Amino acid sequence: MNYFKIYAKKTIVIFCVLSLCLLTSCSTKRQGMSGLFGKNGEEKHTRTIFSMDTVMDLTIYGDEEVLDEAEELIKGLEDKLSVTDSASEIYMLNQEKCARVSESTAELIQGAIDLCDKTKGALDISIYPVVAEWGFTTDHHHVPEESHLAALLQNVDYSGIKVETMGNGNEVSYTVSVEENMSIDLGSVTKGYTGELVRELLLEKGVTSALLNLGGNVQTVGAKPDGSAWRIAVTDPMQPESYLGFVEIIDQVVITSGGYQRFFEEDGVRYHHVIDPSTGYPANNGLSSVTIIGDSGMHCDGLSTALFVMGLDGAIRFWQEYGDFEGIFVDDDGNIYVTEGLEGNFSPLKGRKMQVIRK
Amino acid sequence: MIKTRTWIIIILVLLAASGGITAFLYAKKAPGSIANVYVDGECVYSVDLSLVTQGYTREIISKDGSVNTLSIEPGRICISAADCPDQVCVHTGWIADSVAPIVCLPHRLVVRIEGNSAKEESEFDSVVR
Repeated sequence: MNYFKIYAKKTIVIFCVLSLCLLTSCSTKRQGMSGLFGKNGEEKHTRTIFSMDTVMDLTIYGDEEVLDEAEELIKGLEDKLSVTDSASEIYMLNQEKCARVSESTAELIQGAIDLCDKTKGALDISIYPVVAEWGFTTDHHHVPEESHLAALLQNVDYSGIKVETMGNGNEVSYTVSVEENMSIDLGSVTKGYTGELVRELLLEKGVTSALLNLGGNVQTVGAKPDGSAWRIAVTDPMQPESYLGFVEIIDQVVITSGGYQRFFEEDGVRYHHVIDPSTGYPANNGLSSVTIIGDSGMHCDGLSTALFVMGLDGAIRFWQEYGDFEGIFVDDDGNIYVTEGLEGNFSPLKGRKMQVIRK
Repeated sequence: MIKTRTWIIIILVLLAASGGITAFLYAKKAPGSIANVYVDGECVYSVDLSLVTQGYTREIISKDGSVNTLSIEPGRICISAADCPDQVCVHTGWIADSVAPIVCLPHRLVVRIEGNSAKEESEFDSVVR
């Protein structure tokens, strides 16, 4: 009797231990396989943030506290740059036509003006009143009257925006002014700029591998933990649920502009949200999407909009002139054009063909 | 004797449970297609897309009365209708992997395919839109 009991107890213990082993071995194997750790054992942390009218997914390999700081940085930028928040610096500027702003806001506005200049107005941050007239800021979409658009276009001119730096040393202040009846919106560069600043913060905090998806803009920090390049799928503008192909990047940013996500239809015509500053109407120059790959988020963000507005020929000429970025252009027929630096880094899917643009 | 029998039953239950859990972990992790719907970060609906055999729709009604209609088909999910003003969630179309979520910003609603190792084993790390 007793022997049997002891035997039974032993058996229980053995079974328990065995089943525990079985379970734990499964889960350790899973963790290893699923890449929960970086190459030096940094833990993987992810966070989703609703900010800047979009959803941001941050994935880092490092301390979780760094994510808190990143979130704080993003929220801080949003508070300053929002065009609708009545406490923001941009709101104040649009109301008063002149406002003292923080250093980062001044830097962003100046950077944006330089891009407007470089793209000869294909990007214009003073287009805001026109975009608002179309209802894209309030979601009360409608096609504006032509005379109304023409009147609003009178006040669209980025050269009317002035950034002044005063003082020196620790006593520097920044003042931005715009012309009467002018309003600006930094939406075309803000997410790219934000990604750039978050990348800098992460590097400062010792994070060497991270992936930031800021509402569809992808900023990478370093390479993947195993040293390989990040593989970023590019949305097919003709069928937004599928992919055109993918780019492989390390420590760079990828940003797309297109008319396939934010649009409305009236009387069977589709109107998208990228307004051509020269016409006041949605850009209609033969492109369905432009994807820019480069080192500066702000630059790539602004250029994706500007080159989309320019159309294929203009975009190609611009790239040939400057060439400090790479691009993927999709025309209205779905043909894919890539700049030569992407040969080998961009792979089209489903046997789709691409044409390589050379200098 | 009764005690021993009880113990044997316990052992069998334990074994069955551990086997069950193991099978569950492996079975659920393999295809990688559980769609979770979040409103304000809270999961309000889940569906294993690999177990769906026939398409159907389901309305997600938030506390404030806003409606997003999900269309669910074998292996994929989309928002087919919504009463949000911008319709970006509807324009996003179908998703079938964990690379990118569907987002309805006005309703603070996110549809993600996850709940397993899909993300890590997926072909892409992210998607640019």
